[in-house]
Amino acid sequence: MSKTLSRSRGRFAIIGVGNTSGGVMPLTSTGDAMFAEAAIMAIKEAGIDKAEINGLVTHGTEDTRVHQQRIGAMLGIQADFATSVDNGGASQVCSIITACMAIDAGLADVVLCGYSADYRAKIHRAGKKQAVQLVPESMLAEQFRFEFGYFGEMASYAFGATRHMHLYGTTKEDFARVAVTQRDYASRNPDAQYRKPITVDEHLNARRIVDPFGLLDCCPVSDGAGVVIVARADRAANIKKNTAYILGYGTGNNIGGLFAGENMSQTAGLVSSKTAYEMAGITPKDVDTAQFYDTTTAQTIIQLEDYGFCKKGEGGAFVQSGATGPDGVIPTNTAGGLLSEGHVAGMWHILEGVRQVRQSHPAERQVSGAEIAVISGNGGNSVCHGSLVLSRNPS
Amino acid sequence: MKMNAYNKPLPIPTADSQPFWDACRESKLTCQRCDDCGTARFPPHHVCSNCLSVNASWEEMSGKGSVFSFTVFRRVYDPGFADEVPYVVALIELDEGPRMLSNVVSIDPDIVVCGMPVKVVFEKATEEITLPKFVPTES
Repeated sequence: MSKTLSRSRGRFAIIGVGNTSGGVMPLTSTGDAMFAEAAIMAIKEAGIDKAEINGLVTHGTEDTRVHQQRIGAMLGIQADFATSVDNGGASQVCSIITACMAIDAGLADVVLCGYSADYRAKIHRAGKKQAVQLVPESMLAEQFRFEFGYFGEMASYAFGATRHMHLYGTTKEDFARVAVTQRDYASRNPDAQYRKPITVDEHLNARRIVDPFGLLDCCPVSDGAGVVIVARADRAANIKKNTAYILGYGTGNNIGGLFAGENMSQTAGLVSSKTAYEMAGITPKDVDTAQFYDTTTAQTIIQLEDYGFCKKGEGGAFVQSGATGPDGVIPTNTAGGLLSEGHVAGMWHILEGVRQVRQSHPAERQVSGAEIAVISGNGGNSVCHGSLVLSRNPS
Repeated sequence: MKMNAYNKPLPIPTADSQPFWDACRESKLTCQRCDDCGTARFPPHHVCSNCLSVNASWEEMSGKGSVFSFTVFRRVYDPGFADEVPYVVALIELDEGPRMLSNVVSIDPDIVVCGMPVKVVFEKATEEITLPKFVPTES
């Protein structure tokens, strides 16, 4: 056990969270307005005055710069410590980690972290119909990519899924089971973007996008926001009702890129989860629920392996056993995940982990007796990774 | 003179990649090899990621390799590819070591598999740009 890591165990906490609902907002909404809605809810839940917030860590959509400035100005938050993070889908988990590090260093006491997505609204405002057209013109000059017809985020993950199928015999039926299970969870979540239950057949017969993926393997484009407020655990002790303790966290980067080594069939969660578990002083057996960044169905399977819930290559069989369902050994993406709840870049995964360990859900959504949740963020073409371990108790 | 009808995205060569595209125009598949540690690298970069040496030489590769992984595009993301779907985008592991994104062409997309041996062919797009693509070795 590393003394360096364990010193941070349970020293920080999430004291309030907030979100917009639905994944589909009026097309005239702005990302700033959504962020504000989530922030007001989180501040209220934490029971603090906004003047107490002196740290701000945010992540804007790909076309925003110094996002924290506009958020600070809008909310009137005079942050001593403020920055944006840029780790793709790992950004939200990395925001929380950055907040913990800033508090630890004495640069801030109470830090507001948040993200808002307004891609659908942006497409509407631009008068365009396809998300792919949000690729900046300057990026189209990139070499060794677009000239071969390689477009869109799903293709990267399709490479990984094909490789995983080749190495381990994972099947489209395994991916279907992930989609069906997560949709089942979403059907009980009034805030989810897609709630209508689906079948394995519907999944397998859906419109094909990039092999092996059909439409129901791919996360949607969504609008929405999530905000999390982080403080020292002793500060949180006064407002226990809404507290989720940060037992551990970790980071990892497959910095060689998606195309190096076996990076496409595994995530840097292999490294990141080990660090987070060590800081938390737990093993995968201690975890009651997992929230994995699921750009595609395959990413849920791959991270179940990388986080040690089953052996590498056995993720397909593991989900087929029902392991990730409500009565399984590790209920996973219990709000529906990116696939069904909506793509707010993983911020809602954190909120779901918080609500599970607070046991604040209605019975049909609550993992019975959940005390420890693990959450992942994975992004930047599956290079960047962050892990959080949240707990009902500080140790 | 007939207008060029090529309507797909084209790469814009950089100082680092110009020799690669120049060689493609002569139907040669090349990569950089570090003069100091001997590591072959692709895509082109100014520096060797193994030893940070900036000394490198271009050398011709065999053009042979295998499919490391791939996907078949069923959806049109760019109008230039409307007549191409379904098409195969693959990561080719070249016998010399580097991996290269490209297309596997002249094959039914449904029979492409990981590990399939392939060799390079060259498709002229414009006067400036010729694209390296791959076909099954057996064909």
